[in-house]
Amino acid sequence: MKKRLLAAMLAGTMVLSLAACGGGSSSSSGGSDASGGDAAPAASGDTLQVNIWDNNQLAGLQQIADEWSAESGIKVQINVVDWDNYWTLLEAGASGGQMPDVFWMHSNTAQMYMENDLLLPLDDYIAADDAIDLDNYYEGIVDLYNRDDNGVQYALPKDHDTIALLYNKAIFDKYGVDYPTDDWTWEDLRDAAAKITEAGAADGIYGYAINSSNNQDGWYNIIYDYGAQVITDDHKGTTIGSAEGKAGMEMLRQILEVSAPQTTVAETGTDSLFNSGLCAMITQGSWMINTFYTNENSANYAWAMLPYADVNGNGQCDAGERYSAYNGLGWAASASTANPDACYSLISYFCSEKGQKEQAQLGVTMGGMKGISEDFANAFEGMDVSAFVRAEEEGDLFFRPYTRNTTVWEDALQQNGAFLDAWLNPSDPAVMATACDNAQTIIENAIAAE
Amino acid sequence: MKKKMTLAEKREARWAYLFVAPTMIGLIVLNFYPIFNTVYQSFCKTGDFGKGNIFVGLANYQAVLSAGETWQSLWNTIKYALIEVPFGIVIALILAVLLNKKIGGRSIYRTIFFLPMVCAPAAVAMVWKWLYNTQFGLLNNVFHANISWISDPKIAWISIGIIGVWSIIGYNMVLFISGLQEIPGDYYEAASIDGASGLRQFFSITVPLLSPTTFFIVQTRIIGALTIFDLMFMVMDKTNVALPKVQSIVYLFYQYSFTNGNKGYGATIVMVLLAFIMILTWILQQVEKKAVYHA
Repeated sequence: MKKRLLAAMLAGTMVLSLAACGGGSSSSSGGSDASGGDAAPAASGDTLQVNIWDNNQLAGLQQIADEWSAESGIKVQINVVDWDNYWTLLEAGASGGQMPDVFWMHSNTAQMYMENDLLLPLDDYIAADDAIDLDNYYEGIVDLYNRDDNGVQYALPKDHDTIALLYNKAIFDKYGVDYPTDDWTWEDLRDAAAKITEAGAADGIYGYAINSSNNQDGWYNIIYDYGAQVITDDHKGTTIGSAEGKAGMEMLRQILEVSAPQTTVAETGTDSLFNSGLCAMITQGSWMINTFYTNENSANYAWAMLPYADVNGNGQCDAGERYSAYNGLGWAASASTANPDACYSLISYFCSEKGQKEQAQLGVTMGGMKGISEDFANAFEGMDVSAFVRAEEEGDLFFRPYTRNTTVWEDALQQNGAFLDAWLNPSDPAVMATACDNAQTIIENAIAAE
Repeated sequence: MKKKMTLAEKREARWAYLFVAPTMIGLIVLNFYPIFNTVYQSFCKTGDFGKGNIFVGLANYQAVLSAGETWQSLWNTIKYALIEVPFGIVIALILAVLLNKKIGGRSIYRTIFFLPMVCAPAAVAMVWKWLYNTQFGLLNNVFHANISWISDPKIAWISIGIIGVWSIIGYNMVLFISGLQEIPGDYYEAASIDGASGLRQFFSITVPLLSPTTFFIVQTRIIGALTIFDLMFMVMDKTNVALPKVQSIVYLFYQYSFTNGNKGYGATIVMVLLAFIMILTWILQQVEKKAVYHA
């Protein structure tokens, strides 16, 4: 009997040690080791620990940070932790009181961190700082890091991003199809994709590829073009199931019919397909430029603005017919840092006009400050990335849809019971319409549960 | 009727406690505290960052037990175990018997079969993911096939199971070899003199005398297989159509606890798994009494 009990206990221990990571205050630090970043506890006095998740940006940001170090005499250690582990680690650090000093914030989680007073309030610093005037930044990003109930600013805009259409000229030449232009409608994209997919069937080449997870850099944009909103301006609802939303997704369904099948993009990924020369067009965010710029075939790659939806049928792109999603990271500091003044000084340096310009010129990202996008467009020698800048000058922008707990509905929308069904049955309009209704319900339920 | 300790015994006991203290403290901090915390959380609507938990009684259990995906995931996990445990054991046993004989290059083979255990599980999963890839995968290219190994809900669970078997064979094999070496050679000699064939010797001597080892492996592997997570997580994309038919119950736990930040719901899923494993362990203990041969 004793032995049996012991065995059961042991079994229990094995299962529950899994949940150890789930325990509120125990930390799961496996992630940091795996990615090489060591998020050591704050402030050994003269070194600031900075956490980011994008390795592409490390070199440029370290260069800017080093300049700040030369002025301030405080060293900056930037650690890269990959996206998934970044949030696991930051949350564990927040629960256990060991956050890095300065780090990136994102729209998916910002509200949660702000409401729990985990971030350093920046208002007093900003008021006393000549280099920072919040009016110079994109309003959506400033608002995002401003807490609703007390109006405190918790982060400064680091950057912003837009979406554009990437195409492979070699494939268009091979099948004699005209290159995409800024005057394309989504119908034009559909027709070109159909031609290439049909002609390229023997070679396994597709005209276009998009997965249900390509939301911000994909189908969200079509929904806004057609006049619906994934999340309404007050962040309390959605119009994804409206007639406009369904019209947009119906357009997408027609594109899906002539695109790479869902099982292919789920296994291989749209960017891998494109870089392997098996796909003529994909939509991509400006944060991905470097991946394609450094590819061996990049001479064949070119960018155009996202297509628009000619909703009023007058044959030209009017206001509100071409949308691009945009999002912006924020530089935030830990509320419990040992050296808040230095943290703010570093953030201010990154976000000042000088730091922002340098960030753009180094090709790190577009600025969070307005009016410096040209510097970024010129950063990639030999590749014209001005489509990302034109998207904001000639088209309209909408902020990446978010609520308090974005991931819950964002993940559900990509999966069975929502848009994955439609991706798998692109020939059936009814499935897509049902998916829109389901998406409406999913988002409403998720918001109600927040 | 306890005897009172003498002074010397007391002093000795003090030292004993001191020596087991590091282990005990480790267990308490890393295992026991999280266990009770998990049980507590399963009764709560958990707040952000471990703050502001609200006691909700059995609401989480109601939600978890009435969700179809819980049972589907549990069934997926069982299906995975049904592949990994028997095949992993039978193949390992055959290999162990073969590699226990005096054959040339024995240690090289042992090393090769054990290699998957040494590799990082994430790396193993990434390699298999590309082997299975429908478009570029080695498997489809070699066999000139067009099979969606990991996207077809009908076969994806088998594909994942095969990775599991491949990964665990070496470990099981080493345990079996050590078990085999405990069996005295006299039995085989006597059997040979009596004219028993190799196959007869295997089933009449090796299998029964190895049963304690086999049972140990069965029990630990069942628990290991029921807590599988990394294979599904690494090999299958979130938008993989076969995922609902393959994702394990721990995958579901990860999804709720870490991706969605709903720790209370996640803790409840783990409690369901715990109950399931407890029942299974109890059944196994009953089987052990009957099936295992204790010399």
